[in-house]
Amino acid sequence: MATIPPQARSKQLRACLLCSIIQHPMDFRKNGCPNCEELMQMKGSPDRISVCTTTYFDGIIAVIDTEASWVARWQRTSKYVRGMYAVRVKGRIPEDVEAELESRGIKYRPRDQSDQD
Amino acid sequence: MSGLDDDYDIQDPIQQENEEEDNEQQSQPRASGKSRGSIYDALDGEDEEEEEEDDEDEEDEEPGRDRGRKRAKHRHRRNAVNRFLDVEAEVDTEEEEEEEEDEAGGDEFIADIGPEGDEDDVNRRAAVNARLDRRERELNDQDLAKIAQNLHERYGRAAVRYTGDMNEVPQRLLMPSVHDASLWQVRVKPGRERDIVFSLMRKAIDLEYTAQPLSILSAFQRDSLPGMVYVEARSAQQVNQACKGLVGVYPSRGIVLVPIEEMASLLQIKKQDLTVTPGSWVRIKRGKYQGDLAQVMDITENGEDVGLKFIPRIDLNPRDDANVDGRKRKKAGTGLTTMRPPQRFFNYEEVVKVHGRKQVSKRNQVYVFQNDTYKDGFIEKDFKLNALQLDNVNPTLDEITKFSRGQDGADNENPVDLSIIAEASRKAAIAVLQPGDHVEVFEGEQSGVYGVVDSINQDVVTVTAIGVDIDGQKVDVPARSVRKRFKPGDHVKVMTGQNADETGLVISVTDNVVTFLSDMSMQEVSVFSKDLREAAEVGSGTNVVGNYELHDLVQLDLQTVGVIFKTERDSFRVLDQNGQVRLVQPHQISMRRNSDRAIATDSEGHELRVQDNVKEIEGEARKGRVLHIHQSFFAFLHNRDILENGGVFVTRCRSLASLAPKGNLVKPGMDLGKMNPTAAGGAQGGMVGSGAMGRGPRDRDIGAVITVVKGNHKGYNGIIKDINGTLARVELNTGNKVITIEKQKLYRRLPDGKLQPLNAPYHQQGQQRNMGPPAGVPSRTPNPYTASRTPGWGGGRTPNPFASGDGKTPAWNASSRTPNPYVADGSKTPAWNASSRTPNPYAGGDGGKTPAWNAEPSWGSGGWGSASPARPADSSWSSWNAPTPAAAATPGFLSAPTPAAYTGAPTPAGIMNDPGSMSAPTPGVSGNEDDHDSDFGLVLRDPLIANKKVVVEIRGSADAGWLDGDLEFKKGYVSSAFASLSEITALFHPLDSPGDPPVHVPTIYLQPIQPEEVEDHALVLRGIHRGKHVVLRESAGHGVWKVSQFQDPEAFTIDEEKLVKLYHV
Repeated sequence: MATIPPQARSKQLRACLLCSIIQHPMDFRKNGCPNCEELMQMKGSPDRISVCTTTYFDGIIAVIDTEASWVARWQRTSKYVRGMYAVRVKGRIPEDVEAELESRGIKYRPRDQSDQD
Repeated sequence: MSGLDDDYDIQDPIQQENEEEDNEQQSQPRASGKSRGSIYDALDGEDEEEEEEDDEDEEDEEPGRDRGRKRAKHRHRRNAVNRFLDVEAEVDTEEEEEEEEDEAGGDEFIADIGPEGDEDDVNRRAAVNARLDRRERELNDQDLAKIAQNLHERYGRAAVRYTGDMNEVPQRLLMPSVHDASLWQVRVKPGRERDIVFSLMRKAIDLEYTAQPLSILSAFQRDSLPGMVYVEARSAQQVNQACKGLVGVYPSRGIVLVPIEEMASLLQIKKQDLTVTPGSWVRIKRGKYQGDLAQVMDITENGEDVGLKFIPRIDLNPRDDANVDGRKRKKAGTGLTTMRPPQRFFNYEEVVKVHGRKQVSKRNQVYVFQNDTYKDGFIEKDFKLNALQLDNVNPTLDEITKFSRGQDGADNENPVDLSIIAEASRKAAIAVLQPGDHVEVFEGEQSGVYGVVDSINQDVVTVTAIGVDIDGQKVDVPARSVRKRFKPGDHVKVMTGQNADETGLVISVTDNVVTFLSDMSMQEVSVFSKDLREAAEVGSGTNVVGNYELHDLVQLDLQTVGVIFKTERDSFRVLDQNGQVRLVQPHQISMRRNSDRAIATDSEGHELRVQDNVKEIEGEARKGRVLHIHQSFFAFLHNRDILENGGVFVTRCRSLASLAPKGNLVKPGMDLGKMNPTAAGGAQGGMVGSGAMGRGPRDRDIGAVITVVKGNHKGYNGIIKDINGTLARVELNTGNKVITIEKQKLYRRLPDGKLQPLNAPYHQQGQQRNMGPPAGVPSRTPNPYTASRTPGWGGGRTPNPFASGDGKTPAWNASSRTPNPYVADGSKTPAWNASSRTPNPYAGGDGGKTPAWNAEPSWGSGGWGSASPARPADSSWSSWNAPTPAAAATPGFLSAPTPAAYTGAPTPAGIMNDPGSMSAPTPGVSGNEDDHDSDFGLVLRDPLIANKKVVVEIRGSADAGWLDGDLEFKKGYVSSAFASLSEITALFHPLDSPGDPPVHVPTIYLQPIQPEEVEDHALVLRGIHRGKHVVLRESAGHGVWKVSQFQDPEAFTIDEEKLVKLYHV
C-alpha cells in the first residue's frame, strides 16, 4: 500500500519513472518507491528522487484492486502495491538503473508510451 | 513472533561465529570450517546484505531491547580478544548449549579458558563435531528455509526485488477481454478530475474493511479528457455506489459504458509530444520574459528543466534606491512601474554602473548577476518545461538576427542557422503559393529551375518553366521544394507577419530572405519570400489602425501621452513623453489628443507652435518639426533623417530654438508673466488650452443671436454655433434644428429686435450702457479667466478645451457662462429667466440680464494681472462696490482703458480685427451703475440675502428718466425683491420719509450702501460668509473691516465691498 498523497492538485507530485507510482516527494524520501526501491534507491536521497521521478506525467489512476484490475494489468502495475499511478510518465530511468535491469535480463519499458507492441 | 525469535536465537551465535571466522580466516586452522561455511553460504545465498541490514534493522527498530545492545557489546568484546578466541573456540564449545540459553555466559567464556585442561581435547572435538553436523543437517533440512522465509516476510518488503515480470508481455496481449471488468465514463466537474480520482482512492481505502467496501477496481483520469473520470468496475451500480457522496461527480448525467475496444485507447491517448532539442527555439510563457524567444541549450535527463539562452531584460533604471549606487542613478521615468525593461544584451560595464560592482561577480567567462548567469551577453537560465511554449514559436527574422548578432552588435562568425525557421515555415509556404507566382525550385531534381506557377494540386505544383532548355514546359514539383522568387527591383507587398501590407522595392535576395526598401518608412525590411507577393500598389493602409494614425498624439494613461511613430498590423509603437517606447494596442489608448492649438515657449521666449521647425539647443542639437506639444512642456518632434523611432523624438520645449525666428517676440522689459498668458501659462505648466485662448474663438460671431433673412429659413431665429468660412451652422430656436447656411443670409438680431448685418460693428446700438461688443473683448482676454477656471464654476465641462472638441475656447465659454455665484450654486438665476436667452455677450441687450455682464467689471477692475481663482466669481461685486475705478465708474476711467493691458494682450490680432471693440468704450467704461445694479437685483433675490432690509441708494434713475429722476439719490431699504419677465424690482422703503409707502424700484437703479462706522450692522453679500448678519467691530484699514456676527464674539475680517449696510431699527 503506497502513501496516497493528501493533495491531488499539488504540483509537487512526482511519478516514479520505472513503476509510475505517484507520491509526494516527501514520501519518496521517507519510504522510497514502494515497488522499485531496490533498484532506485531513493529513500533518503533527494538527488536520486529528482532523477528517478518526475512531475511530468499525464493521467492519474487510482489502482484499488491491483490483481483484478485490467487497467493495472494494462499499465503493468498488477504486481505492484495499491496506490496512485500515472498513465504516462515522461522521461527515462537513469542509466545505471537501466544497466542494472539489462544485466538482470529485464526488459525496460519506458512509461512514456513511446513503444507499443 | 516467538517462534521467529527462537529461530533467530539459534541463528545468532552461528552467525557471530561465522563473522569471527571470517575475520580470522588466515590465522585460523579451519576445523569445522566446511560445515559452518555451508550455513554461511546458505544464508549468503539468501542475501547477505539483507541479513546485515536485518541486524541493523533490528537494532534500529528495537533500540530499547536490552538484548540487542548486549549482543552488540558481546560481539564487540569478542572481537577484541580475537586471537584468543581462535584457540579457545573448540574448548568453548563444550559449554555452548548453556551459552545458547544465556548469552551473558559469554562473559565467563574467556575467563574459563585457563582452568580448562586440554586432556579431553580430541574427544570433545569429535563430539562437538558430531553435534554440529547434526545441527547443520537439521538446519539445512527445515530451519534454514524457514528462517529465510521468515526474514523475508518480515523485512523483505522494504526492498522487494524488482522483477519486471510483467515487462516481457507484449502490450497487445494485455488487451482487455470480456472477462475483465468494464470501464465506465463518469461526468465530473471540469478541473476536479484529479481530486475525484484521489477521493475515490481514499474512499476505497476507508471502506475497505467495512460492511460495504467499494467494489470498483480502479479509476483514472486523463488530462486530455476534461470533465471525465473513468471507473473500472463490474457494473454501473458499483460505480454509482462509489461516486455517491463525492462532490463534483455527476453520476446523474449518465454512467456510460466504454466499449471494450476503446478501453485501451483511453490509456493510450498521447498528447502531441513536443520534444525540445538543443538548438530549437521556444518562447517563455510567463514572467518578465513572457513572449521572449529563447534558444534551448540543454535539457535535464528527466526532461523537466530546460536550459535556455535568451536576451536579458536588465533594469538599468532601477526604481529601488536601496541597491543603487546613488551617484549614477538615472532619472526615473514616472508612472511606469509595470514597464518591463527592454531586451538588451548583458553589458558588464552598464550593469556595474547602475547596480554597483558588488552585484555582479565573474566566474570564468560567465557573469553572475542577481542569481542569473550571463554569458556572451545572453542570460542562461533553466526553465521548467511547462513554463515554455514549444509550438507555434514562429521566431521572426528580427528576433533571430538579434540573437545571432550577439552583444557586440557585430555579426557573429557563425551566422544563425535559418534552416530551423525555414523548415518550420515551409509547411505554411505551400499554402501561400498562388498561380502566377514566380517560383524557383531549390531542391530535388529540378533544382534551379524557375518559372511561373501554373496550378496547384495539393502538394504538387505545376510550374511553367522559364529559361534555357526547358522553357515553356510544365514541370510538376512538390510544393515544398519551391519558393517564391523575387529579384532586385521587384515591387513587392508583404502578405503576413508584422510587416504585413508594407510595400517596397526589392533590394536583395538571399536564399529565402528578401530585403526590400519600404515605400513608407524608407527603411530596409527583410522578410521571408513566402510572405511576399509581387504587387504594384503602394502600401497605404498601415498608417491607420483603428481610429489612430501615424504621428497622432494619444493619451495612454492619466499621466502619459505619446506619439505614434510606427503602426503595425494591429498595434502601435508609441513614444511617450518620457522618451520610452511602448507597444500599444488601439484599445489601450484612451483618446487622441489635439495639440493643434497648443502653444509653448521655446528657449528664447518665442512662441512655439505645432508645425514649427525647431532645433535643440542642447544635447544632440537635433532638428525637427514640431508634431505635438504636450502641457506646454514636452515637444514631440519629427525628423525624417533620424532613424530611431521613425524619426520621432521627444524633448522639452525649453530646450528648443526656432529655426526661423518669429516676429511676435514680446518686447523686452515687459512683464511676460503678466502680459502674455501663453508665457505665463506655459511656464507654469498650465493647460495647453491656456495658451490657445490667447487667440480667441475662431469667429466672434459664434454665439450670436441671428435671424435668417434669406432663403428657405427666412424669418427663423437662431444662434450661430459654428462658422466655417462663409458658412455658419445655426441652431434654430424652432425645432432645435441645426442648419448650415451662408453667413450673408444671417442678420444679427439685437436685443431690441432690430436686425443688423453680422459684420456691422455691433456695439453701435442705441443704449450705450448695454454695451454688447465690449463684452466680447474681455471675453477673449484670457488672462483673468485662465486662472479662474476653477472646477467650481466650470461645472461639468471638460477643463480641456481640446477635449470638448467644439472649437470654443475656454475664454469664450468663460464669458458666455459667467462665473456667477448663482450659477455655481445651481440655482436658476433670475436673469436667465428674465431674458430667456442664451447667455452670450451679445444677448445682453436690455438691462444686462445675462450674467455675462458680470464678467466685464472684473476685467475692468484690474483683473489683468491678478489671477486669483476667486476673481470671476467675485467680479460682479467688486464692481459695484466701487473700490476700484471700474466700479466707481469715474469719468476718468471711462476714457481710460489701461493701455498696457491692451498692448500686452496676447492676441492683439483679435482685438485689432474688430474696430468696434477698439473704438468701443472699454468694458470698464460700459460697466456703469446700471449694470451693477442689475446684478444687485440678482443678489436681492438670493434667499440668503432677500428680505434682510439692506440699505440702498437710488442711482441712475435720472439719466434713464425713470420717474423723471425724482427719487434719484434717495436712500432706503429693500424689504423684498421680485423678478418679472424683464426686470427685477425691489420694494423700496425710503429712509428719510418713513411714512411714505414703499415704492417698486427696478433694481438696476439701486446701489447698495456700505456700512461706514463701527457698530454698523451689515450683511455680507459675498464670500463664505454670504448672508451673515455682522456688526462692524473695527477697521482693519484699506476698506477692510473686522466684523463679527451679530451676537457672536468671533471676529473675522472682510472687505468693505462685500458688505452692505443693514437697515437697523
